[in-house]
Amino acid sequence: MTGLSSRGFPERAVRERARLGAAAAFPADAHYGHTLFGADPTHSDDPLDQLRITPPVFMPQRLEKLIELGREPLHTDVALETVIGGLRSTLPLYLSAFGSTRAAGTGQVLAASRQAGRLGIPMVIGENIVPMSGYGRGGEQTRRTALGRIAAYLDELPDGLGGVAVQQSTEDADAEVWNLVYSDPAAQPLLDSGRLAFELKVGQGAKPGLGGMTVLDRTAAARVDEQFALDEVFGPDADRVLRCSSPGTFTEEILRQQIRLMRNNYPRVKVWVKLHPGRDVALAADIAWTAGADSVTVDGAEGGTGWAPVATIAHSGLPLGECLARIGPRADCLLTSGRFWEGSRVVKSLALGATAAGLGRAALLATDEDPEAGLTRLVECLALELRLLISSLGKYAPAALGPEDVWPTPAPLAAAPAHRIPEVLRHG
Amino acid sequence: MTTTADAPTTRGLLLPPADPRQHLTSPTTRTVLRLQQHMLAAAREYLTGAGFAEMLPPIIGPVTDPGGRGSKQVDVDFYGHKYKLMTSAILYKQASLLAFPKIFCIAPNVRLEPLETANTSRHLAEFHQIDVEMAGASRDQITAVLEELVRHIVSRVVTDLPEEFAALGRDTSVFTALLNQAFGRRTHAEAVAELIGLGHPQNPDAEIDWEGEALLSGRAAQPFFVTDYPKGSRGFYDRESAQDPGVLRNFDLLAPEGYGELCSGSEREYDYARIVTRMRETGENPAKYGWYLKLVREGIPASAGFGIGVERFTRYLAGLDSAWQANAFPKLPGVVSP
Repeated sequence: MTGLSSRGFPERAVRERARLGAAAAFPADAHYGHTLFGADPTHSDDPLDQLRITPPVFMPQRLEKLIELGREPLHTDVALETVIGGLRSTLPLYLSAFGSTRAAGTGQVLAASRQAGRLGIPMVIGENIVPMSGYGRGGEQTRRTALGRIAAYLDELPDGLGGVAVQQSTEDADAEVWNLVYSDPAAQPLLDSGRLAFELKVGQGAKPGLGGMTVLDRTAAARVDEQFALDEVFGPDADRVLRCSSPGTFTEEILRQQIRLMRNNYPRVKVWVKLHPGRDVALAADIAWTAGADSVTVDGAEGGTGWAPVATIAHSGLPLGECLARIGPRADCLLTSGRFWEGSRVVKSLALGATAAGLGRAALLATDEDPEAGLTRLVECLALELRLLISSLGKYAPAALGPEDVWPTPAPLAAAPAHRIPEVLRHG
Repeated sequence: MTTTADAPTTRGLLLPPADPRQHLTSPTTRTVLRLQQHMLAAAREYLTGAGFAEMLPPIIGPVTDPGGRGSKQVDVDFYGHKYKLMTSAILYKQASLLAFPKIFCIAPNVRLEPLETANTSRHLAEFHQIDVEMAGASRDQITAVLEELVRHIVSRVVTDLPEEFAALGRDTSVFTALLNQAFGRRTHAEAVAELIGLGHPQNPDAEIDWEGEALLSGRAAQPFFVTDYPKGSRGFYDRESAQDPGVLRNFDLLAPEGYGELCSGSEREYDYARIVTRMRETGENPAKYGWYLKLVREGIPASAGFGIGVERFTRYLAGLDSAWQANAFPKLPGVVSP
């Protein structure tokens, strides 16, 4: 080096790329397996963060509640039970998919599954779990398998509540994850009680338009090289390689027909669809619902726990608030994920049309803090905040929230009807 | 209807005896298998006479028919590579037309069907098909072949095996309409409308469900075709209509008397770009169909074909309660058997 410098230019980053090559497109390799990725909130331009919750002075729904109860209502009178994509939940919350990233350790994943079951909220099992970790039958020993997680969840799940949504991506289709689960005796209790959903994964928030990525050592990579593309971004001599899933090609017709085929092939499951925060997210969500999806999940650009290029984390995809504004209020079930951990963000997204919010990074951090009860306590706190905030708006159920409950009202929502149809009525 | 003596039942349904000796030595089984042997001989007689070449089908391959309705494929470890047992020979049937313009095979198929299908009386995890494929054929041409083939088989067994039918208690006068009249024909949309009219909640975008098929079948006096299934209910190889997008140039043949589907068939997609697009529409990963897509890209003949379920066809002719009674070593979905 000559000591050449360039003031005002990202010199350090340029020099890092000059040293590391393609590996510098990703967060530092040393953090892999110890860090949950996803957008940095200090750089968030999410409209949700700019909103304020707006309790009115006059509250006709509080009067209705007062008449019903015969006493003044309190925050404890808020009923948080919600139907999420056809599954009954104690709260407008669900456990998001963690994918196959190693940062989600086996112990944490199982602890989170157990606690989600105890809480009676639905749980999503991520893509690539079966090709990477196995299903859990035929002598596979690891407890991280899909069956291991389902068993941990079911052990604690109360009757009639919760349910499991199993994702399938393009590579999962090779492993026939849905066919496997649908014909498996171990999944029959979920099927028989109507608590099994399949989630078609179209995309994810942290890397919109790209497939899943994990870093593997060369031995693990050799096991899956027929199913996945491997990229030597860390150099030919490095002991680790990048494993890439394909994102899968979608057109309007491909999405429509895949959903119809899911309904045709698996008539006993609920059909969920997960979208990345694409610029055409409203059209994609509309196609999914029209084709018969029970639920559409939008993963905002703030979402994700796994390995992603720094460029997409920082610069790609619409913020969740903008996605909600583009979709607008619908009578259909809309799930949201992306940096949820406390009550105000959940209330804001419910006000903008969401039915429930997913916990991803927050659930992993909470179980890392306390494997036995960390997630339970986090959710207890969140549920209290939900009750306080919803009752402060003079409302007593999540489905009663509307765009009038936040300020400033996002432009596409300004002309929307004040009240949505409660989820419970739609499924009744 | 005929049942095997002393057969165990569950939820009111007849199950195969756990002891293969009991099943194989049962007079009913022996009579049914004799009938089936005669059906296969008649099928070969007709197809060979009509210029179809008999091919021996592959049992394993890197990829097989993705199937539908939630059935799982069986993985085979082929020297460290994941292969599949054939769920159907469809991809190989299309490829076989590079050797002969008209082919047939009598092929075993293995499908790990969802557990609930153990109760339909019609599903076996291992079963056989009379598979036929014909280069350059239209749907009308291939359904004519199917109709003649079925009529030939039924005529043969009714003429040659009166004692077997008597032993099974099956009155062969039920086949009079089949032998003397053209098969009925209705579109999927018409079938859906009929079912909804009967109070059956049939999804118009999906296959006719099992209860719906049984309802339609129970009201019919002779076999009938259901045509024009919607895209989203069948595999990528059933050809989409150029004139009517979203509708497939395919068909099922349903037996009367409540016996339900005997056969599925279609004109086939053969254009590379259309097949890749249809693979995505059915959620498939084109990468795993490498050998097939290479063949298609270099050109395969346009064709139409069908597969008749041997055990289902036998069940209908013999008037059996369940398809497993027409198999020497029956395997019901989820039931551990010899």
